[in-house]
Amino acid sequence: MIFATKKQIDHIEENTDIVPIGSYWQLVRRKFLSHKLAFFGLIVLTVIVLLVVVGPFLVRVAYDEMDFTALLVPPLSSGHILGTDELGRDVFARLLYGGRISLLVGVCSSLISTGIGLLVGLFSGYFGGIVDRLLMRFVDVMLSIPSFPVLLILTLVFGPGLFNTISVLAIFGWMGVARLVRSVVLSVRENDFIMAARVTGTKKIQILFRHIMPNVIPITIVSATLNLSYAILAESSLSYLGLGIQPPTPSWGNMLQKAMTYILSKGHASQTPWWLIFFPGFMIFLVVLSVNFLGDGLRDALDPRFVSES
Amino acid sequence: MISYFFRRVGELIPVFFLISMIIFFILNAMPGDPLLYSRVENPRVIVQDPERIAKLREYYHLDDPLIVRYFFWLKSLFKGDLGYSSMYKLPVLKLIKSRLPNTLMLTVTAWLIGLIVAFPIGIYSAVKKYSFLDYFFTVLAFIGISLPTFWFALMAIIVFSVFLGWFPAAGVQTYGISGSWNIFVDKLKHLALPSLVLGLVQVAYWVRYIRTSLLEVLDQDYIRTAYSKGAPDKRVILRHALRNAMIPIITIIALDIPYFFGGALIVETIFSWPGMGRLMYEAVLASDYNLAINCLMFITIVTLLSNLLADFLYVLVDPRIRLGSKAV
Repeated sequence: MIFATKKQIDHIEENTDIVPIGSYWQLVRRKFLSHKLAFFGLIVLTVIVLLVVVGPFLVRVAYDEMDFTALLVPPLSSGHILGTDELGRDVFARLLYGGRISLLVGVCSSLISTGIGLLVGLFSGYFGGIVDRLLMRFVDVMLSIPSFPVLLILTLVFGPGLFNTISVLAIFGWMGVARLVRSVVLSVRENDFIMAARVTGTKKIQILFRHIMPNVIPITIVSATLNLSYAILAESSLSYLGLGIQPPTPSWGNMLQKAMTYILSKGHASQTPWWLIFFPGFMIFLVVLSVNFLGDGLRDALDPRFVSES
Repeated sequence: MISYFFRRVGELIPVFFLISMIIFFILNAMPGDPLLYSRVENPRVIVQDPERIAKLREYYHLDDPLIVRYFFWLKSLFKGDLGYSSMYKLPVLKLIKSRLPNTLMLTVTAWLIGLIVAFPIGIYSAVKKYSFLDYFFTVLAFIGISLPTFWFALMAIIVFSVFLGWFPAAGVQTYGISGSWNIFVDKLKHLALPSLVLGLVQVAYWVRYIRTSLLEVLDQDYIRTAYSKGAPDKRVILRHALRNAMIPIITIIALDIPYFFGGALIVETIFSWPGMGRLMYEAVLASDYNLAINCLMFITIVTLLSNLLADFLYVLVDPRIRLGSKAV
């Protein structure tokens, strides 16, 4: 886990026959870009984020604009590229705006939970002793509570809504990161450069954040992507069940809330408004799939211990 | 082995207390006085009379400090007294007992489907690694991991029950069917979609896991030895490799039991399957605190027990682990 500096690499290159391979980050970039699925994920994700951020400004219809002359219009009809819902609202506009909310919840909660996990893992691993034992015991306990039922109960306690959904997801997402970071810290702190820092009288906090933390950043980034895909899936499930983001604010999950009534109320199969169910779910799926591909590529590229299989 | 058993169970006890304490505090953070309500919902108790309520408060120690109340709550839990559901006006224990068989039927079927599908694919992917089908299954596994369960279930309903009309979309059985064979077929049809959805979601994880652990074993020297002494491929893979790869796989499969209960929550809700998961969801929607908390407590106990089971299976399956003398 010790990475060579530019100077050291130059030194090695001048004095040996080793073919120049580039710095750590150059290696990472090369490895990441050669991972086809990860590259695909990056492109899809970029397009979706751009659409979601810029899109609502480009679409002329507002996400909550009702048109009672065009109820449940199928996709590809005039003016509504993805059709309309039972109140005549444009599905495409709602999809773009709902994406903002879904991605916002996912990114915020995974950033917070990864941050908490990073701090807990750093302190637990570096200071050890009773602090470590207590924290890790707590992590064990939290991990043995089934997460989704607890999320349900917590939304019952805190009430649904944007802020509460983010906090609930953040509270239950940090344990995996903490464990992973701790295990890396345990091996990093045995290195000579930590000993050197200690001998020269560097403060403990400074050792922790300046010398140890850079070494756990790669693995933290990888877990952050895992957290992101979990958070997006969990938010959509909660919102689908009516316990996450509340209408009229659309999110990809709560756009599906009435799906079951559409399915059961329509008598004939051809009348089922499948586009109301297909598109929001497909967006969730596409984003989570891309994030998972991205995470896989990042893990191969960032972690020198994992040799890429492909 | 026996000493290991007792040590592991001994470790579980503080964890159980801590979790139940957390759950109890959540219960107390709820608005109103859920503990009192959970008693008052008993239809035989007259609620309006303030004197009776005061007596009840005293009887159930509701005015004692939180920690004291926790122990009284735990005591009644062990006695099987889980209080009443405000939504159903029935004892919680009775509700759980009536819903549990349905959930077990669904999760066990899904679990079996998962195993039957995951093992052949996982073994194939490991043996023929980097083949076209291996890549295909890898991408398929990524897709499975990324599918939102509820959307998968909804799409399955649209395709298989709305458009194709093969399976019913909701419920456990149709009313008014006679003949034990007909009833059996009818129940099977109702079970098909929810258990397939629940099982296939898990397959994605298991395939990756089986592939990885089998690959690790296939790299070992004794596999090369087996091949070089002329043992047929099938024998090497199934007898030499898979047996050893099974150790971590069994652990993961036991550890995943609680996920079925979590997944069942969504699947049962969508397919109107009257099981534990749907019961808990209904309780949350109706703000039936006592019922919801007890469902959570039940699922947590299942989780702890399956963790324990995973540990024991690990020790039982792996003859290399010598308990007592060396660290496990």
